[in-house]
Amino acid sequence: MRSSSYSVMPARTLRALVVLALAAGATTAAPAAQAETTAPALAAKPYMGWSSWTMQSSKYPGLNPDGDYSYLTEANVIEQADAMAAKLKKYGYEYVNIDAGWWMDKAWKSGFDQYGRQKPDPVRFPSGMKAVADRIHAKGLKAGIYLPAGLEKGAYGDGRNPVWNADGCTTADIVYGDLRTTNGWDSAYKLDFSKPCTQKYIDSQAQLIAGWGYDFLKLDGVGPGSGKSGDQYDNVADVAAWQKAIAGTGRTVHLELSWSLDIGRVADWKKYSQGWRIDTDVECYCNTLVSWENSVDDRWDDTPGWTRHAGPGGWNDLDSLDVGNGRMDGLTKAERQSYATLWAIAKSPLYTGDDLTRLDSYGLSLLTNREVIALNQGATPPARPVTPSDPQQVWAAKNPDGTYTVALFNLADAPAAVTAHWASLGFTGKAAVRDLWNHENLGTYKEKITQALPAHGSRLFTVTPHGSALGTTAYEAESPANTLAGNASVADCSACSGDHKVGNLYLGGKLTFDKVVVDKAGTYQVKVAYISGDARSVDVSANGGGATRHKFPSTGDWSTVETVSVPVTLKAGANTITFDSGSGYAPDIDRIDVPKSSS
Amino acid sequence: MDTNPTTGLPRRSLLALSAVTGALTALPAFTASAAPQRPANSPAMPGSSAHELWWQAPADEHSMIEQGLPVGNGRLGALASNDPGRELLLITDATMWTGGLNDTLDSDGQFPYGRGDFGSLTLLARLTVDIPDHDLSAVSGYRRALDLDRGVVTTSYVRSGVTYRRQIFAGRPDDVIVLHFTQSGGGRYTGTVTLEGTHGEDAAVSFGAAFPNGLRYGAAVAAHGTGGRVTVSGSGISFSGCRELTVLVSGGTNYAPDAAKGYRDPSLDPQSLARTKVRDAAALSADTLLRTHVADYHALFGKMDLSLGTSSPQQRSLDTWERIRARARDGAPDPELEAAYLHFGRYLMISGSRGSLPMGLQALWLDGNDPDWMGDYHTDINIQMNYWMADRTGLSPCFDALTDYCLAQLPSWTDLTRRLFNDPRNRYRNSTGKNAGWTVAISTNPHGGGGWWWHPAGNAWLCTTLWEHYEYTGSREYLKKIYPLLKGACEFWEARLLTTTLPGTKQEVLIADSDWSPEHGPLDAKGITYAQELVWALFGNYCTAAAELRKDADHADTIASLRRKLYLPQVSPSTGWLEEWMSPDNLGETTHRHLSPLVGLFPGDRIRPDGSTPAETVAAATALLTARGMESFGWANAWRSLCWARLKDPEKAYQLVVNNLRPSTGGSNGTAPNLFDIYEVERGRGIFQIDANFGTPAAMMEMLLYSRPGHIELLPALPDAWAGSGFVRGVAARGGFEVDLRWRDGKPTEARIHSVGGRTTTVAYGDGARTVTMKPGAFVTLKDFAR
Repeated sequence: MRSSSYSVMPARTLRALVVLALAAGATTAAPAAQAETTAPALAAKPYMGWSSWTMQSSKYPGLNPDGDYSYLTEANVIEQADAMAAKLKKYGYEYVNIDAGWWMDKAWKSGFDQYGRQKPDPVRFPSGMKAVADRIHAKGLKAGIYLPAGLEKGAYGDGRNPVWNADGCTTADIVYGDLRTTNGWDSAYKLDFSKPCTQKYIDSQAQLIAGWGYDFLKLDGVGPGSGKSGDQYDNVADVAAWQKAIAGTGRTVHLELSWSLDIGRVADWKKYSQGWRIDTDVECYCNTLVSWENSVDDRWDDTPGWTRHAGPGGWNDLDSLDVGNGRMDGLTKAERQSYATLWAIAKSPLYTGDDLTRLDSYGLSLLTNREVIALNQGATPPARPVTPSDPQQVWAAKNPDGTYTVALFNLADAPAAVTAHWASLGFTGKAAVRDLWNHENLGTYKEKITQALPAHGSRLFTVTPHGSALGTTAYEAESPANTLAGNASVADCSACSGDHKVGNLYLGGKLTFDKVVVDKAGTYQVKVAYISGDARSVDVSANGGGATRHKFPSTGDWSTVETVSVPVTLKAGANTITFDSGSGYAPDIDRIDVPKSSS
Repeated sequence: MDTNPTTGLPRRSLLALSAVTGALTALPAFTASAAPQRPANSPAMPGSSAHELWWQAPADEHSMIEQGLPVGNGRLGALASNDPGRELLLITDATMWTGGLNDTLDSDGQFPYGRGDFGSLTLLARLTVDIPDHDLSAVSGYRRALDLDRGVVTTSYVRSGVTYRRQIFAGRPDDVIVLHFTQSGGGRYTGTVTLEGTHGEDAAVSFGAAFPNGLRYGAAVAAHGTGGRVTVSGSGISFSGCRELTVLVSGGTNYAPDAAKGYRDPSLDPQSLARTKVRDAAALSADTLLRTHVADYHALFGKMDLSLGTSSPQQRSLDTWERIRARARDGAPDPELEAAYLHFGRYLMISGSRGSLPMGLQALWLDGNDPDWMGDYHTDINIQMNYWMADRTGLSPCFDALTDYCLAQLPSWTDLTRRLFNDPRNRYRNSTGKNAGWTVAISTNPHGGGGWWWHPAGNAWLCTTLWEHYEYTGSREYLKKIYPLLKGACEFWEARLLTTTLPGTKQEVLIADSDWSPEHGPLDAKGITYAQELVWALFGNYCTAAAELRKDADHADTIASLRRKLYLPQVSPSTGWLEEWMSPDNLGETTHRHLSPLVGLFPGDRIRPDGSTPAETVAAATALLTARGMESFGWANAWRSLCWARLKDPEKAYQLVVNNLRPSTGGSNGTAPNLFDIYEVERGRGIFQIDANFGTPAAMMEMLLYSRPGHIELLPALPDAWAGSGFVRGVAARGGFEVDLRWRDGKPTEARIHSVGGRTTTVAYGDGARTVTMKPGAFVTLKDFAR
């Protein structure tokens, strides 16, 4: 069963592992073997599972009776694994992930072994971490574990702790002389990877968790990110070391990075890991598991910049999907559906933090909707906004089979109608609409679909076009026919059509397309190609009339062009369309495409 | 200047009109109703799209005041959420008032103004109909509409291929709110109906309780269905598998508009009466209830109609809220929307003001028990504005609630004035030491009580409002009814007016004692324009009334002589404005919301831009109005619009209408999704004040037709946006006429003047005028107008 890793494993390690495996008994051997031999390429699709952190972090009555984070125990993990196997496994959920605290006592005091490695807390995990992994594997599931980045301060031991399997190396040999700290909480000394002992330390941690049989590691507090920036908090080398160390174990271990990773380093995250948390914790640390306003709703603004980076091998991690029990989640039904919808279409990993023994029927229906899961797990690309990030917004993706995934969201605090215009998807005419949440074909809709959504509500459709491609007329922002005002200016842009854009649209900077010609009066879904490294708003108006302020989602950096469609009411003949930064900072504009027909 | 504003109303014609408003006897607010008149076989008339407002999303339960759709039968009103999975109705009765006579003044001699002492309008009940399987996230094709032709709120949506529909209306003949749920396609309704009080009562199919002020109230619900089961339990009603479901709710109080009985009918048990009403209604089909309601409602709604032009297909394709937003964004006139806004005001008037108390700051539509300013009657503009449009838009009967209220309160108002007005702590007391008649506080309640500060001129303004209704209807019976109010108000001012000599002259004039020009500037100014103008109008009206009724000839002579000595405002030599105080200086806020010093321009008739008023007075009024600005809110914009219409400035008058049509978002001033007018009282907090929903339509009518007894002017301030073509039908004109008018390219093409009692009037357009004479009941058609 270990043959695949035999050649790369040091002899001593191999022996130790064999002993451990034998001690755990025969019952664990078969499932573990099966899991390994059938495992696909790592993170070929977003992983699905459960994480302990949501319940650990909550003040929901009864969850943490022995103090903060005390939920995390062997018994609770096994209970959740049992519930997952019974209720969710058949839908694809497989990872049971132990989060922070497995090496900490109930007072949150860390324990370390003689090698400065995290040591399981005997009260929380009396049977040890391997036994838990074995129990999880016995259910046909995979086991996940957690570590923070860096050398935890408590592991330093005056620098004299030997590094396991690294002759002559001690903890003093792996950190900086000034004991500079790192990670999102400054809870560890920064590792100095210019020293030869340092990789050995990561190797020793990797051997430990691989030896226990873990299939997944969440490396937390990673920077730049986790609320930190600068060299001291640059943990890219840690992540690279982890990838190398995991490879060295010969075990297939999924490496997931946390939290609020710096999008500027996404190439590194993609290179070394299988997923990265794009945002802060979804949990509210309050008396429910999450709350809408605390940070669930942030994801609609924070995800779009990352969208194009998701794909087989590495995914944008939106954090736990806590929609399984309305009372515990602290969310309305509408909010739970929207939460699940965004996670599904963004191709986020789908791991819930709910108490799987207490899923309510609606929560179970959300977590086990096969059409929605198929969207998340299938060969479809992640969706991104096709409208501005206004309170009513539409996200979409064009699927390989020619259909579109279309999600309507109403992020306002009151019910509202939300319309998806086929023009914003690039076609005109009729289309068939299937409602994925309700498992229902809604029929054929011409040019658009409008639905009433509750406050914070959503709809998720597959749209099958029966029309034709939308004809448009392009107007370049840099055209001399346009009028620039304020600081607005033309700039080079290699990603842009015509190799130019109009930028410096701030504090009164304004771009007016002076001659936009349409045949008929009406409201047109004008597609705007733009660049905006962060979400920015702009006032859009036509013919000097009243402006509508739209927030354009981030394109993730200042060299990538994305598009959104904005409704603009035009008259027959020549029109002006103005993008005005007003009193703020607006996106750079590359081009607009004006449909030949109104919606 | 013309000292007789009422010339031209012939006495004989009034006799013929007595039937119009003959049934003025005040009825208890909630009472056993007579057998309703049921239409024999009237078709359930289809609504026209021009009279339909529609939306593509239901209301948020927490934003009912902006998004809930109002229904009402003139007494019992509700806001409905129209959510498929959970229909919520916030129900109240016009008389659901806490508080009382409130006759212990504060230390400053003014009235307490709290929810306990003065009181507040509050909710009667919450009704919910939960249909769990119809969660909004699970339905498609959602649509709700307010059919202004029929007075019905409809909701439709599709769930799993079945189309579900519901209709909600508040029937006056049957005195119940009806919720009728139907479907086509083999669907079923399963869920629960819950009726709860809002003052601590438990959920029950009926409840009854009493306020500390002794007012008893109660409500009841009943339901019946077909094809399934409807089960009543102690706390509510369950239904399952119903193909069709009807829910009926009624309720009210034992309020009685009778000061002598302490405003209570001790024999009335509201809970029992509510149960009787829903039981009686449950014996009828929902269709019968609907037809009865539509016949009753449309008899009023159909009295008047108008077209301000044709909207574009694109405008028509938008739902009402999108259309409001597009109107503001694109700046293009949307004449059908603007006409629908006017009709919405008429809908509110019919729904809010029939047979019970008049409409206060929010009429029958609340979202809690703590409406701002108690949802009370504000007598320094708001209640007057609520009723300016009644006669102007064919809803003369809806005015009666205001008259009935004033008459019922008069004994209490007289008593309070006699006992408390000259309290030495009251800064507004009569320095003459004399005291007579009646007046009111700025706020009044229905229990005889006042709130906030004394408002000496409030009596005169209420009387001029009541008088205007007389000028429209010409009813002698009505005049007899309001006469004691006019007389008592005159007596108050006889006791109050002070004689002073104008500086630098020997001219003696009469001025009002210390007062506050609403609601800014000095608190103790003598001779404020607001009071001088209102008293001048009051005295004139009283003299006309006394002559008409052949009463009090000597007293009327006295009043007429006082009137001749009344000081009238001068033009400020420093600002060029009509003075608000007897001072050349601007002592208040330049852009203040109130137009108190312009009451002589509107609603008064003293200041006219037709050559009969000195040009410098008109210019000074115009200058003051200009200084007040165009950017206020709701009622303040409406009042400005009315004044600009009087000054024949159509574009300014129209712009103020447009300003009120701006979408209210985040509590900003303007029109909410449900078309309620929202006033941003503090940053981010908007509240509903219904006066603009009535004042704005009144302004729109004033732009189309001006009248005073003996004189009608066509299209005095027609804005370009409506000039292309249009019509109004059934518009009342002061002097006893009704006018149908068509125009094209900004000019009348045909005007038909019907006499409803009037005999002769001039009809003017532009610089031309002709005099028409006819018999009551006859009409004259005029064509060939030239400017």
